[in-house]
Amino acid sequence: MRSYFPVARATYMIGLVYRFGFLFGIVGNLVYLGVAYYLWKSIYRYSDVIRGLTFNETFIYVALGSAIFILLKTYADWIIHYEIREGAIAMYLTKPIDYQIYALFANFGALLMNLSAITVPTALVMLFVFKVNFVFGPGLFLFPISLLLAFLISFSIDYFVGLIGFYSESVWGLSITKEIIVTVFSGALIPLQFFPDGIQRVLYWLPFQAIYHTPLMMLTRPNQGLDVFLAMILVQLLWAGLLFWLARLFYNQAIKVLRIAGG
Amino acid sequence: MQSLADYIRLYFIIEAQYIKARMQYRADFIISSIGMFFSSLATLGVFWVILESVPDLAGWSLMEMIFIYAFYMIAISPMQILFDHAWNIRFHVREGTFLKYYFRPLNMMFYYMSEMFDLKGLTQLLVGIALLVYASNQLNIDWTFLRLALLLITLFSAALVQISIIVAASCAAFWVIDSYPVLGLAWKLREFSPYPMSIFDGAFRFAFTYLIPIGFVAFYPSQLFLRPEEVSPLIYFSPIVGIGLFTITYWIWTKGVNSYTGTGS
Amino acid sequence: MSLIHIDGLTKHFKILNRREGLRGAFRDLFSGDYRTVEAVAGISFDIEPGEIVGYIGPNGAGKSTTIKMMTGILKPTSGVIQVNGLAPYDNRIRQAQIMGVVFGQRTQLWWDLPVIESFKILKEIYKVDQKMFDRHMDMFNELVGLKALYPQQVRTLSLGQRMLCDITASFLHNPQVVFLDEPTIGLDISVKAKIRTVIKELNQEHNTTIILTTHDLGDVEALCHRIIIIDKGRILYDGDIKRVNALFGAYRTLKLQIDKFTDSTLHELNLKLTDCYGAKHGITIAETEEFWTDVTIDQARTPLSDVLSFVMNNFPVIDVRILEISMENVVQRVYEGALG
Repeated sequence: MRSYFPVARATYMIGLVYRFGFLFGIVGNLVYLGVAYYLWKSIYRYSDVIRGLTFNETFIYVALGSAIFILLKTYADWIIHYEIREGAIAMYLTKPIDYQIYALFANFGALLMNLSAITVPTALVMLFVFKVNFVFGPGLFLFPISLLLAFLISFSIDYFVGLIGFYSESVWGLSITKEIIVTVFSGALIPLQFFPDGIQRVLYWLPFQAIYHTPLMMLTRPNQGLDVFLAMILVQLLWAGLLFWLARLFYNQAIKVLRIAGG
Repeated sequence: MQSLADYIRLYFIIEAQYIKARMQYRADFIISSIGMFFSSLATLGVFWVILESVPDLAGWSLMEMIFIYAFYMIAISPMQILFDHAWNIRFHVREGTFLKYYFRPLNMMFYYMSEMFDLKGLTQLLVGIALLVYASNQLNIDWTFLRLALLLITLFSAALVQISIIVAASCAAFWVIDSYPVLGLAWKLREFSPYPMSIFDGAFRFAFTYLIPIGFVAFYPSQLFLRPEEVSPLIYFSPIVGIGLFTITYWIWTKGVNSYTGTGS
Repeated sequence: MSLIHIDGLTKHFKILNRREGLRGAFRDLFSGDYRTVEAVAGISFDIEPGEIVGYIGPNGAGKSTTIKMMTGILKPTSGVIQVNGLAPYDNRIRQAQIMGVVFGQRTQLWWDLPVIESFKILKEIYKVDQKMFDRHMDMFNELVGLKALYPQQVRTLSLGQRMLCDITASFLHNPQVVFLDEPTIGLDISVKAKIRTVIKELNQEHNTTIILTTHDLGDVEALCHRIIIIDKGRILYDGDIKRVNALFGAYRTLKLQIDKFTDSTLHELNLKLTDCYGAKHGITIAETEEFWTDVTIDQARTPLSDVLSFVMNNFPVIDVRILEISMENVVQRVYEGALG
């Protein structure tokens, strides 16, 4: 495992070089925050509490959601698609590396980059410009663990979708559909509480809410009981383990296609 | 020298061939269209969920929001279908293959953009048209001949606004190596076009109306049909905004093309 | 009036002196610290219709820059350039009608479409009438066997097939001048020969002027009537191919791998050769790659076979390769006054 750390460092360094992306990423996120602010302000025109949430709670949720969204955005599927197209996949086969672990660390480097470049500045803006208050509680301490698990889940899903690229050329359609499903149903765009009850219940059974909704809950409502949070972490752990392992199995199948077809 | 008629005919010939070649990949066409279907309706889905909990959004009912959204879907279709090649400018510039576009007796933007025709964008167009018909029915909009003409004109200028924003952003590739973030930001702004501009004030309202006028892509023109009495005179300037913006974009393109000298000595 | 008229043409580029580090990059955005590179430093020549001109020189000599000015892509810094009486840069679209361009390995045809469709589209773009189109397509078919390739998508063609298609396509609309940039690069001998035949035939058919930039001296020998050698932005030589042919033909480079190679081996080799052939042997020796020694011979003075057997008798030679003279060497010799 240790031998993969340089891989993470490499992608982190690449992030440093692309200053434009850095700058525009921050600008883009701030614009989104502004738009979200106005949108929710207008929604809360009629009442102070909707679906059990106040404007402040919802706005913090959405703002933090966007910061985390960028953070957890792995391009694992697009990278695989690119490497398939360029024929670079064959190169990985000849080296003594575990491709999934390699991809994981590469994306992790990107995550660290996003953390320092975008998430931290956004959080600072939140604290000082919008003057939101952070409540302390056990949720806050479990947040980093939750985030890490969320990253694993997100990565596994993206990696899985990326592997479908071995079977089909229609990678764009698949990735976009996956992105929509994950974004909308994970609570990244709007708090899950806003969905009709029936739909909400279904969503809680899917892994998507474990990506954004869980860590966000830890940040916005950190003083629910420890047992509540530990249960959420357990769910995340289960999903992370399951999806990572499934993706691994799929890789073994998919790589056979490459070996037979000649890539 | 080519006349407008020449260009139109040439376009049909090239795209007919292109589509024929692409249709061989039937599975890809279907899956991409499905992906397009979902992605184009995502924001509408968000509005729908929100409007389950509140009576209206800044005074706009769900059906009105659907109308605006449908207008938006139709307005962004020409950009999606005809100018999709803009996303690849950065690759061609970097690898030196952009040179080939200088050598034909054709306008370069025409030649470059004609190399791609995004079929899946047609899905978005059709869904948009269907939704527009549905919403205008539900809202009892009376489609007189004048109104229809107005609709076409405003759609045309809205399309120009959207095209201009994206193509201008893609021109960053002529000067900057890592130009993708510029396009990324422009693309993200597109998402906010179906939002009712009345929720904004101050700097944001100003920016979305006068600086990067996404307001003119769907919201302002829609007002002509939804709330004709409340319409501000600003709306009647839509065609000027569209044409003006495209002129600026074309100027940026020309500057970019002239400054590009290719790789190698 | 010449077809191409160039007088005192220059092209300067302003290159930013990039600074190090993050702070440097930031300051680069605002500073005006440029240096000027003279890519083309005042060249003049005239080209008449029907000529096949080899435009050669080492990398970075200013070849591509000149071609780009002739085709209207780049604006000259100063000087006169006219193609068919018009300045290329100010008349790009009009000039494109009378020009054909092929540059190396990047195709100008439509990647996903069948070959025949590309030709049909070109017919529309250049407004070629049906009779000329049919005549040309028949001619291409005779020369190159084009018909067999009609239904294939351009992306499925081999490099050689693609080059043949690109070259014939560039002649479709009967241009007055065709620019061929590295048309045979990366191709094997038989395809090269075919391409050279095609170019010659097409030149004779309509008296099309051809400007050929290439590193392959075989191309030059086979096709060109006239050679223009450019280096460091200036013209070194402009004249008949025959005089330069003597230069190329005679020179050969022997690449030798000598066993137990030490620092003194080169010196020893030089001494022994001078001993044997006298001081004016016209042989140069250099170590260009690790373990390989280049021995360049002027066959007019010393036959290759003699030198080869001499070296093999006196040194432990493990491997041998024989090459034609390189472009760089030609230019070097021209500099040294080999053409007087």
